[in-house]
Amino acid sequence: MDRGFGVSFPGRIISRISLYLPRLGLSALILCLVSGLVLAFYYRPMGNVFQNVEEITTLVPYGWFFRQLHYSAGQVFVILMLLHTLDHFFRRRYRIYALGEWISLIVSLALCFYTLFTGFILKADQEGVFAGRIFMNIIETLPVAGGAIARLFIVPGNSFFFLPYLYHSFFLPLLIIYLMRGHIREWFPNERFLLSGGIGLSLYALFVSPRIDIPPDASVAVVEGPWFFLGIQSLLKVLPSFLAGLVVPGLFIGCILVLPAAGHALRALSFNERIIRIGETGLYCLLIISICLYAFLTLRAAIWGP
Amino acid sequence: MERRGFIKKGLQWAASLLGASFLAYPAFSFMTFRKATKKRIVFHPEDQAGAVTFKEGVYLIREPNEIFALSAQCTHLGCTLNYDAVSGRFACPCHGSVFTLSGKRVSGPARKDLYRVPLTKTASGDIEAVLEVG
Repeated sequence: MDRGFGVSFPGRIISRISLYLPRLGLSALILCLVSGLVLAFYYRPMGNVFQNVEEITTLVPYGWFFRQLHYSAGQVFVILMLLHTLDHFFRRRYRIYALGEWISLIVSLALCFYTLFTGFILKADQEGVFAGRIFMNIIETLPVAGGAIARLFIVPGNSFFFLPYLYHSFFLPLLIIYLMRGHIREWFPNERFLLSGGIGLSLYALFVSPRIDIPPDASVAVVEGPWFFLGIQSLLKVLPSFLAGLVVPGLFIGCILVLPAAGHALRALSFNERIIRIGETGLYCLLIISICLYAFLTLRAAIWGP
Repeated sequence: MERRGFIKKGLQWAASLLGASFLAYPAFSFMTFRKATKKRIVFHPEDQAGAVTFKEGVYLIREPNEIFALSAQCTHLGCTLNYDAVSGRFACPCHGSVFTLSGKRVSGPARKDLYRVPLTKTASGDIEAVLEVG
């Protein structure tokens, strides 16, 4: 497939990377779905869920392997998906595709992160339970119907893990597969990627033990959220929850979604070409600054704590 | 003619929106309904010995003149607070809010004091705390 930058040496490398990484990511998605299917036979989202997860890790034959395979495949898939999106973003390829394609890419990426996050909650250890409560309380800060909207995603009490489980294992995989149906048809089955992804992730699952899970009632000095929310965790310390948890991420996702439409909108409002270019590039630069700031916050929190 | 077409289209839109909301509102009400439940936490006499006792999301605090209970959930975003016996304060491990032993907010992003949980004493010497869930 000619991608238009096969002339120079770095161009060829980038071309190869942007060709292979998303295909490898789809192999990780297959492994994630298969291992998730296996785990679903023992995982129960009701009762003592922490004990259930510990039994999967320590008691059920090969449970540790499938848990680690599911975790690593999910992480690799979402990281590769993020790189794929950044690849399109930094090379401004959103300008050559239809707006709908860009929107489905960004929405799929957001759904992928939400799937990772629900998985983080479903571990049912201390950080999972706290993440779930924080998520619920942040949605509740929405004006007018915040409490009701929060109950669409997570509820306190005995069914705390049920809705995240429903999203994690049913709604989100279906939606993600639906949004990626074009890529899945185009790129699968590809034995090379499936085999390399399978071997790599299985080796990881075989040789890297899962982290020790901390019981929900233990007393720990600092509890961290998932790596992709460390930046938000830092923001939540200094900004009001509504601003740090909803307005900032919402504005960021909204600006990325409308990025390709900015030029069309300015053109429709009959601005001259120079203003259109400045407006579009301005929004693009603003998003790059936001991404860099968030990456800095995440790194800072990962090194020195949130 | 054009105006009539516009009005007709507007009415069609309004009718479909009304129709959709007839279905959407009951669906939303159904999906977001939760029965309020109460959780009883019982502190037996042997649990009441220490100055500060933690059980199932509640801190029971014994002071010279009174016994009271505080919800262990941070009023910022709901993480369970840790009790630091040295400083005699509660600290949130997620975003760093700090509260005094009586539940007053000292610092951090939380704005409200900790919730006091109503207590009842039974004839057998147990102390019951009732937490509202959902």
